[in-house]
Amino acid sequence: MDNGLKLGVFLCDCGGTLSKVTDFSAIKAKLQKLSDVTYVGISHDLCLKRAQQAMQKDIKDKGINRVVVAACSPELHENDFMNVVQSAGVNRHLLSMANIREQCFWAHPDKGKAAKKAMTQIGMAINRARFLEPVEQTQISVNKDVLVIGGGITGIQAAIELSNLNLKTTLVEKEATLGGKLNRFANLYPVQVSPEEVLATKLKQVAESQNIYVLTSAELIDVSGEVGNFSARIKRGNGEFVRNFGAIIFATGYTTQFSSQIYGLELSNNIITQSQLEEMLKSSSEVKQIPKSVCFVTDISDEHSRVSPLSALRNALGIKEKFRGEVCVLCQNLKVDGAGLEKLYRDCRNKGVLFIKFDNSPRISKQDGKIKIEVEDVLMSGEQVTLPCDLLVVEETSVPPLDSKVLGSTLYMGLDAQGFYQENNVHLYPTASNREGIFFAGNCHADLDLMQALTDASNVALSAYQLLAQGKIAVEAEKVMVDPNKCRFCLTCIRACPHHAIQEAKVNHEKMVAQIADLACQGCGICAVVCPAKAIKPKDWSDEQILAEFELLGEYV
Amino acid sequence: MKAKGAFLPDIVAFCCAQSAYQAADTAGSMRITYPENIRVIRVPCAGRVDVLHILRAFEKGADGVLVLGCHEEACRHLSGNIRAKNRVQRVNTLLQEVGIDGKRVEMFTLAPNQGSRFARIANEVNERIKELGPSPVKSGA
Amino acid sequence: MIVAERKPLEDIREMIAGYKKILIVGCGTCVTICWAGGEKEVAVLSSQLRLASKKDGNELEILEATIERQCEKELVEALKDKVQQVEAVLSMGCGAGVQPIAEIFPDMPVYPALNTTFVGMPEGEGVWVETCRACGDCFLDKTGGICPIVRCAKGLLNGPCGGTNNGKCEIDSEKDCAWTLIYRRLEQQGRLDAMRKYYPPRNFQAVIRPGKVETLPA
Ligand SMILES: Cc1cc2nc3c(=O)[nH]c(=O)nc-3n(C[C@H](O)[C@H](O)[C@H](O)COP(=O)(O)OP(=O)(O)OC[C@H]3O[C@@H](n4cnc5c(N)ncnc54)[C@H](O)[C@@H]3O)c2cc1C
Ligand code: SF4
Ligand code: SF4
Ligand code: SF4
Ligand code: SF4
Repeated sequence: MDNGLKLGVFLCDCGGTLSKVTDFSAIKAKLQKLSDVTYVGISHDLCLKRAQQAMQKDIKDKGINRVVVAACSPELHENDFMNVVQSAGVNRHLLSMANIREQCFWAHPDKGKAAKKAMTQIGMAINRARFLEPVEQTQISVNKDVLVIGGGITGIQAAIELSNLNLKTTLVEKEATLGGKLNRFANLYPVQVSPEEVLATKLKQVAESQNIYVLTSAELIDVSGEVGNFSARIKRGNGEFVRNFGAIIFATGYTTQFSSQIYGLELSNNIITQSQLEEMLKSSSEVKQIPKSVCFVTDISDEHSRVSPLSALRNALGIKEKFRGEVCVLCQNLKVDGAGLEKLYRDCRNKGVLFIKFDNSPRISKQDGKIKIEVEDVLMSGEQVTLPCDLLVVEETSVPPLDSKVLGSTLYMGLDAQGFYQENNVHLYPTASNREGIFFAGNCHADLDLMQALTDASNVALSAYQLLAQGKIAVEAEKVMVDPNKCRFCLTCIRACPHHAIQEAKVNHEKMVAQIADLACQGCGICAVVCPAKAIKPKDWSDEQILAEFELLGEYV
Repeated sequence: MKAKGAFLPDIVAFCCAQSAYQAADTAGSMRITYPENIRVIRVPCAGRVDVLHILRAFEKGADGVLVLGCHEEACRHLSGNIRAKNRVQRVNTLLQEVGIDGKRVEMFTLAPNQGSRFARIANEVNERIKELGPSPVKSGA
Repeated sequence: MIVAERKPLEDIREMIAGYKKILIVGCGTCVTICWAGGEKEVAVLSSQLRLASKKDGNELEILEATIERQCEKELVEALKDKVQQVEAVLSMGCGAGVQPIAEIFPDMPVYPALNTTFVGMPEGEGVWVETCRACGDCFLDKTGGICPIVRCAKGLLNGPCGGTNNGKCEIDSEKDCAWTLIYRRLEQQGRLDAMRKYYPPRNFQAVIRPGKVETLPA
């Protein structure tokens, strides 16, 4: 029966190294006998240009319409071979690969076994090739404007960088002024310039830029659409309006919270949080009564925070230098990671700041308005120390901005256990969200100091730029596809897609079905598995292709 | 009946291209060997592996099936590995209903650079399946 | 929608024991949506049955078909060609689906592969809860749209009972007290006077409510 299949098998012996362990001409002879196999070729260096040109010619000359490459791992050169196939006028997805190097000849020292397995692998690839389907490449034009939510230093920096890259940016801040946390600090470590100056410089750049549009006292209500063509509903005062963007960057920072549970005490005029201290020092003219002894307690909770010890050390030193008096830092493991922090710690010690290490949380009590701290000093073999003090500065835990839960769920974005935005896969894509075209920057997804927040902002700006700069994105049309006739619109796939790439759509203006947004889909195939109607097909990983791979099981070629 | 030593099980290993498939490559690159009867099938995510794929592998005569994905929290598609784990659990029950030992299907997680872990899993599972003997549905078994 | 659950394989195998060729019919509506009897589950059951019969050395050939709705005779007619080729039919529709098939093909033994459990709705991925008992005399107008017949463990028409416990039910402290929910809803709507009316009891069988089907998310 003529099924129109013309399979071409291209074997590569990797510079002759694999020919030393097996007889490639014997493999070739066996393969030539298989049905639908039109051509079998042996090459020594299929990864090189010359061999690929020959391969391209063979595909064309022999009229091959399915290409099988038996060589090294597809993880290495699959894309190159797809390019060759495409240049030969065949759809680039009509390629299937057999990994005969890493997973055969390199893994199995027994030559006979390796050769047998190689035949099986090639057989599997050939069977798979029978079910391959073409996927067309198209381009989708995208809106090049970027929306940045949150006008703290991270959001500001991201907007500036985008503007320098010539992308128009809308910066939405819910407060009346830009700057976020930086507005509240008198100084920052190790930054030499004051936060005010940092902000002033940045705000000047914002004001001078033609590309940045600032919206203060404004909030994002919701977002519809997909990467490249999001439309965002924004509220400002009593008005509401919709604007379109290609990408969205979240830079909503974090807020801090004092947990009276951890300390077992309430805040008062002489027990204050780090943030309160920052604000007090910022308006230091107000500090009328100079405290004689000040204690800081840090890393009392198990959560490792970068900024809490940073704030404690910086202010301990500041107070020591400014007001003299006794300054003591109670800490557990004082982790100081970050540029210059070791120096800050030494400076503190040299200036006479006292450090007490504890294992068991200190007991804090108040008598006649005076604070008494009892702690077992680890460095003094657990000796009990009692410290009276005038001012106690306690640490806070960082929590996501109040509305991130709401925003996260209206936007279908992942949140971690504490409610912070969860990156797609922290290790691989540190600034990407689970949704294509939505990014995170700054302290809304990580515990960062100023310099790190700025770097983060630049990285995100670049990612957004790469995505949108061309004004269009190449996309594989319907690489994963819903059959509208089979879809029962049960919503299962819409709920399950980890990248929120599936939405409802109408066919013939009537029946509701699920539809996949090609740009947002990342090809995982989860939807195809969960669909109870078997209505979804990932064209590169169809059931037929996967099942075909074990057709040969038990009957080695 | 064949002696136990002579039994070479057919094992199908669905391997996530983000991790396990690369781990198998790493094993090869480091010349760490493992039983050659483990048949690797590359999938874009462990979440692409369907209950049906596994059942069909047994219909085709597999003695054991492995689903190998990324470590928890490290899935490129967030929930793919967790879904795969749930499905493996479901297949265990479905096979048990049929009268096939549910232990013939197992799920493991690994990172792309864990070549030796891949080989160790392959070896251990191979031994376990050998112990269980040929699949009771295998034609001629 | 109708919620159903697959019967244990053992029961199904007992029904079809001795047949050499069968047809499994899925239903494309309610039971597809609750993951019990759509095209996918037809394929899973079919694979399981093939494995089981192969294991026991029995011959079994299976045809598969999934139609839009089994509870419509016109739609069931379309199965004719396939039904003629087999010795028995296994329906993966709800009880209302099995019966039209049996009626349209009176010579053919038709067996149910599902247990039809309740009328309900999805609560989360793979979890369905019972919300209506199809009592035939809907009471929801009096209860702010919350059905006490299903959601109250005792099916009380004049609740709550003395066992209501801070919004939870005395029978199962995990479950919400339906009558507390009703009270709050009516309060929200300014309709608390509806709580003061007396409704004469009806006769309901004692059943554990609300029912729940839980599956692992696919
Ligand atoms: C006590 C303390 C001490 C610190 N000390 C130092 C130090 O010494 N050195 C150092 O380098 N770093 C320090 N840091 C860290 C530094 O403050 C941060 O790295 C930096 O401020 C992060 O900026 P950001 O823009 O990411 O977040 P933020 O400054 O928090 O800005 C977020 C902005 O987003 C806005 N926003 C939030 N939600 C929304 C919404 N839904 N819609 C619109 N707008 C929204 C907020 O109003 C805010 O303006 C310290 C932090 C703390 C808490
Ligand atoms: S393949 Fe994955 S990303 Fe694409 S639509 Fe399906 S579930 Fe979503
Ligand atoms: S899971 Fe299948 S049937 Fe359900 S909405 Fe998605 S495509 Fe349609
Ligand atoms: S047969 Fe049952 S499951 Fe199918 S559509 Fe009718 S009521 Fe729903
Ligand atoms: S009262 Fe309850 S059981 Fe009766 S019809 Fe209404 S919802 Fe259904």
